[in-house]
Amino acid sequence: MMPTLAVGAALVITAIVAGALYRQWRHTQVLRAQLEAAAADLQHLQQACARLAPAGVVQRLITESAEAERTAAAERKVATAMFVDIVGFSAISERLEPSVLVRVVNGYYQRMSDAIDEHRGQVGSYIGDGIVAYFGALQPNPWQCGDAVRAALAMRDAIRAYNVELERDGLPPLAIGIGIHRGVGLAGLVGSRERQEFSFLGSAVNLAARVQALTRVHQVDILITEAVRAELDKSIVLEPMPAERVKGFAEPITTYAVKGTTADRRD
Amino acid sequence: MAAGALAHVNWESCLIDPQRDRALETYARRKMGIPFPTLRYFTPVPWLARALVDLHPEFGLLMHLDLHQADVLTLVVSQENSCRFCYAAIRMLLWAQGMSEARIQRIERKLSGGELEPKTAAAIGFGRHQSRVGPQRAGEARQTLRDAGFGDAEMKEVAFVVGLTDFMNRVNTIPAIPSHTLERMPGQFHMRLLRPLIKRILAKQRVRGEATPLGRPPAYPYGRLIEAYAGLPIAPVLGRTIEDMWESPILTRRAKLLMLAVVARGLGCEVCAIEIGQALRQEGLDDAAQSEVLSHLDAPGLDDVERALVRFARETIWYEPAVLQRRARALRDMLSGPQFIEAVGVASLANGLCRIGGAMVMAHP
Repeated sequence: MMPTLAVGAALVITAIVAGALYRQWRHTQVLRAQLEAAAADLQHLQQACARLAPAGVVQRLITESAEAERTAAAERKVATAMFVDIVGFSAISERLEPSVLVRVVNGYYQRMSDAIDEHRGQVGSYIGDGIVAYFGALQPNPWQCGDAVRAALAMRDAIRAYNVELERDGLPPLAIGIGIHRGVGLAGLVGSRERQEFSFLGSAVNLAARVQALTRVHQVDILITEAVRAELDKSIVLEPMPAERVKGFAEPITTYAVKGTTADRRD
Repeated sequence: MAAGALAHVNWESCLIDPQRDRALETYARRKMGIPFPTLRYFTPVPWLARALVDLHPEFGLLMHLDLHQADVLTLVVSQENSCRFCYAAIRMLLWAQGMSEARIQRIERKLSGGELEPKTAAAIGFGRHQSRVGPQRAGEARQTLRDAGFGDAEMKEVAFVVGLTDFMNRVNTIPAIPSHTLERMPGQFHMRLLRPLIKRILAKQRVRGEATPLGRPPAYPYGRLIEAYAGLPIAPVLGRTIEDMWESPILTRRAKLLMLAVVARGLGCEVCAIEIGQALRQEGLDDAAQSEVLSHLDAPGLDDVERALVRFARETIWYEPAVLQRRARALRDMLSGPQFIEAVGVASLANGLCRIGGAMVMAHP
């Protein structure tokens, strides 16, 4: 009787231990799967980050300590800044229903962003109806001015095509103004501890914004500065504009309207 | 085995058709011990096909760097460059050496999590820096390696493995060489059966290199780079690859030099730019014409093929695979098959050489 009881008790204990071990094994498997998923997400994030901030900054953010990242989260570089906005947006926004307006603006954003991406630029931010984009701010790009101007020409074509769609839907056409300037600035992640975004800071960016405002003065859609013109090849057709004083800059600013390319003219 | 961390990377359909070349396939099998099926995509350009075999570091090119560390570097750089093919290939290699998928994932976690011993961390930091930033500020990256305890020869091998991976990544990414076969292999029953055999073959073939005299350095660009590797087995093999590229008649020397010059300009590699500039002058392109091409990626004296190649070369410096592959498709449609494959090889080699050169020559005090 006693040996039978002992064997039975041993079996029960073994079954309990085996059950507990199995549950533990299952639990470990689940945790491992979660850990692997988290690691994969982390890897994706690291790669996505490289598209949002200068490569050197991302590299330092990953390899250096949290304390160091606050001082190393930006680097000085030469980049080309582009400002874009919709001419007469306030009037348009008052005429359209909010849901229609959002659809129109989203279509505009999408087309402008596609043209910027296609020409190796990065959208920095959307401000109201405006877009700020940078060329050569993330990775070295010696051809950044040509890329920015060709992006602007592609944006002009995209707006023309979009206006055909808007007209078909009985909506008002859009017109844009684009200002482009190249100069030295600080590229990196800026913002509060809770929210940071990629930005390119400096007087070069301010001047690009002023040049964009000059498109209204000169009644043209794309304006560039002398610093950009100096980097362009002869296939870009330009028209010099009278120098204008702009806020924050002591000297009058000479700008050039971008008419198109020599290839367009042959066509 | 899944596509791992690169499963989200878009990959176009392959841009080139495989062509068998038994002599080249036999050459690869003798050297590596196992078949090299994707070699068929590159056989129309023999120097490139041979380079893909000869430049594999683990088959007798490394004397100092730990082979596992070289594998880890290849894994990290391939991931940085989003090369699904090379990433799958290196994971497959690790699996064939006996690692389970779980262990490979643990290694990947360690690599992104920072729990690494200082030497591995420094090597990986260097690899990421070269892939993300290029040769600019390579001096800092090099100093990090030195601080972690790497000697001169070992640093050269790290730079070679990183630059070579940058080359291989582009060779396989630009024409979108299919990765799904490699990604599926470890899950296949017959591959599991063959795994011990593959492991034995790889163990036999993966050998350390021996000191090798350089002989004659290349007369054309990259002579200084090859001389920097004198004494290591890397130097003669890399030198021969470069010489064979110049000798290949598929694209003109001038077209190749222009592509190399564009990549050097884009990456800011001063050493490469000087050597390539001298060679372009020998080809009849004066400084003014060179400046025009490099500033605007165009010049009146370029023919249509050169113009297309110059513009394509800059696309290979920083890229997203699917975008690069779509642009490569447009280039393929205007060139012959061998011309396209050679263009892929030249642009890829330029990227690899500039990154090695930037680290080993330009950053050298």
